[in-house]
Amino acid sequence: MCAGIYALGYMRPYKAKRPMGLHIFFYGLLSSALALILLANNAILFLGAWEMMTLSAYFLILFHDDDPTVRRAGFLYLIASHCGTFLLILMFFLMAHHAGSMNLDIISHTGFSPFLAGIIFLLALFGFGVKAGLIPIHIWLPHAHPAAPSHVSAVLSGVMIKMGIYGICRVIWTVGVFPDWCGYLLLTVGVVSGVMGVLYALGQHELKRLLAYHSIENIGIITLGLGVGLLGKTYHMPFLSVLGFGGALLHVLNHALFKGLLFLGAGAVIQKTHTGEIDQMGGLAKLMPLVSFLFLVGALAICGLPLFNGFISEFIIYFGLFHGLLHLPLQGALACALGIIALALMGSLALACFTKVYGTVFLGEARHHLKVSGKTSSLMLIPMLVLGGLCLWIGLFPQTMAKGAFLGGAYLAHTDFLSFDMGRVFSPLSYIISTVFLFLVLVVFLMVLRRILLKGLPLPVAGTWSCGYSQVTPKIQYTSSSFARPIVEFVRGILFFKRVGPDVKGDFPAKTSMASSVHDAAEELLFKPVYRRLTSLSKKLDINRIRYTQMYLMYIFLYLIFLLAWKLK
Amino acid sequence: MNIMISILSHWLIALTLAPLFIGIIAKIKAFFAGKKGPSLFQPYYDLQRLFQKNSVYSRTTTWVFRCAPIVNLAAVLVLSLLVPLGPFKAPLQFPGDIFFAAYILGLARFFMIIAALDTGASFEGMGASREAFFSCLSELALFMNFITLALLTHSISLSSMIGADIPMSWKLMGPTLLLVAGSFFIVILTENCRIPIDDPDTHLELTMIHEVMILDHSGIDLGYMLYASALKLFVFAGILLPIIIPIQMANPVIDMLIFLSSMLGLSVVVGMVESTMARYRLNRVKNLLLISFALAFFGFVVKMWRG
Repeated sequence: MCAGIYALGYMRPYKAKRPMGLHIFFYGLLSSALALILLANNAILFLGAWEMMTLSAYFLILFHDDDPTVRRAGFLYLIASHCGTFLLILMFFLMAHHAGSMNLDIISHTGFSPFLAGIIFLLALFGFGVKAGLIPIHIWLPHAHPAAPSHVSAVLSGVMIKMGIYGICRVIWTVGVFPDWCGYLLLTVGVVSGVMGVLYALGQHELKRLLAYHSIENIGIITLGLGVGLLGKTYHMPFLSVLGFGGALLHVLNHALFKGLLFLGAGAVIQKTHTGEIDQMGGLAKLMPLVSFLFLVGALAICGLPLFNGFISEFIIYFGLFHGLLHLPLQGALACALGIIALALMGSLALACFTKVYGTVFLGEARHHLKVSGKTSSLMLIPMLVLGGLCLWIGLFPQTMAKGAFLGGAYLAHTDFLSFDMGRVFSPLSYIISTVFLFLVLVVFLMVLRRILLKGLPLPVAGTWSCGYSQVTPKIQYTSSSFARPIVEFVRGILFFKRVGPDVKGDFPAKTSMASSVHDAAEELLFKPVYRRLTSLSKKLDINRIRYTQMYLMYIFLYLIFLLAWKLK
Repeated sequence: MNIMISILSHWLIALTLAPLFIGIIAKIKAFFAGKKGPSLFQPYYDLQRLFQKNSVYSRTTTWVFRCAPIVNLAAVLVLSLLVPLGPFKAPLQFPGDIFFAAYILGLARFFMIIAALDTGASFEGMGASREAFFSCLSELALFMNFITLALLTHSISLSSMIGADIPMSWKLMGPTLLLVAGSFFIVILTENCRIPIDDPDTHLELTMIHEVMILDHSGIDLGYMLYASALKLFVFAGILLPIIIPIQMANPVIDMLIFLSSMLGLSVVVGMVESTMARYRLNRVKNLLLISFALAFFGFVVKMWRG
């Protein structure tokens, strides 16, 4: 909704240049497909709506279709999505075959053998995981998000990839009982996606690509929560599973809010500077104060810091993990310990990443002479204000939304909501809220104190002192790449870090250049070799290709005869 | 009403005692260097002087720069309410307050880092980058310790995690607690930028972290920052001490004396570490932090192994 209003402002410069009508049509189609997926109660209808969503999103991504990278990104997205859909068709076929009906209600009443449930779980994890962007099947995501216009990225990241999560939830609810290893697998996948997602994000210096990797991180957190819920289900601990599922669902909502806000903010920045390269920006806070403030709200929320909504859902997931740590048997406790450590690591890495983004984009001085033009229209600002306000609202008054999330969690866990002791979560939450208000009071008090103490004193303004080091140019400032370098170098074993350029030599080094970039290991190590093999294989097969239409017709005819003979036997 | 009084008294104690702790460490260091050293109350004089001065601001900076000291001090003040100080129980304790403690510190760190980047100087950027990196590692060690303590005491509230169960745990799980204490000591040194990770006294070397981030703060802003870091050291010591010296008499006066003397002991230890060790080279700091994590992890393994 908000993104739609924003689009009106964002798209204004492109009017008359592009087929706007088509874009708006597919936007509407995507929204209705999303609604239809949520309402679908039949496997065929579900798959149909799923395809509708995939295709309309494809056309939305292709807005700048004269750019080859955009076309490539769109194509990659299309291929990845269809591989996922293939697995989904298989999965629904298995379910329907077993239950004897395409109706999901009927399927949910059928019992599945552990083996079959395991297969269905794997198919769902990979099939829906492609859409959700779980590592290592996420590779379309960091290409598609920067290619799409910002409001589309906001919807893609905020809502569409959540459909993958919704699908996994739907399967969890429908099948009901899973073998033990499923919960562990889900939790591990969440941990890997979360940690790797944020590490890749740290290595990026393209604003929207970075945000896309953060979507992967947050999907990881959500999957982690779902894994906790499934573990609770496996060990018959309804409290744990409601905590896990509820935390995950609340994080779905929260992520939609703050990621939407961040993408819209990124769009405003890109519209203003005409570039997405973080390392060229700087000092934008002075040019666009409101946008920079709202971006800060989104950044604080995505880091899961108190005051904002991200903290609430992460708190619930932490709470679940610690509950599991103390009450599950040994292997469950170990899994929960892993989850806690991973969540803590994600939190601090996300903090490093967003201080990097905020510091280099909005603070300091501009690193290059960017052609800054245009004013952010109020049509773009109002949706951002609404999203930022909602982030703060859930952060300060989480009761309503958390209750809704727990209701959903109880539904997923097949337990009675009334038997869930909400007080055990809500009393710490209310403590947190009052502490946060105390914190705000303190901030105000310290501000007033500062004002009083400074009364009457002049406040001189000078250049940055920095130990009296003079003759600096803005180019000497720390860039996002140099900021993230210690962390990226530390984990270069698992990241695909490339540094091009000679080392600096001599007392008066000559003019030199250096470039560093982080590549996706899943893409470089997993998919590219497979793709190369496939290409060479198809080249070999190419020799046998028949060049006459008549031959194809004959093959079809022979096949039909074969089928006939087989049926008649 | 009661809670208000206990909150205010908690703050009063923390705010009055925290700078003294810094003064003692400085005195110990001077003693080891064979010098007379500044008075024990020098940190108080410094703060008083800074609170009377005006600030100079850079043209480059925005409101973020002015906001950071306030957020930092407020966050540490809130954190201090979660930690018991001798006979004074923590005014705020609830299940899960450990996450809140870690994340409110994260909020302060966020503002510190972006304030450093706000100056647009490469010096401050360097410090900010290092702070972001090392805090990732120390956070890992911190949460690993939390996990072990939670398993030992069956609780996820800070006050009870370092509370009544600790003496019993020393009898049953001595090695684990020893590892936790060692790991947490390194976390304290990191979070409070002491030698061998960071040097609180210099900012002109290329190895410093925290001091360089606050290079451009002056006057009352710097006063807030220094007060916050003194308070942070005090509060972290308040978490470690009940683990090392889990003695609780019923008598508040004796408890207070035990608390003060153990504080004194800890500051002597910190001072001795600072005097006898050199600061690590920057690329070795991460090894120390990984050692801290490894200690915490082995504590966890021992706990899991022995039940």
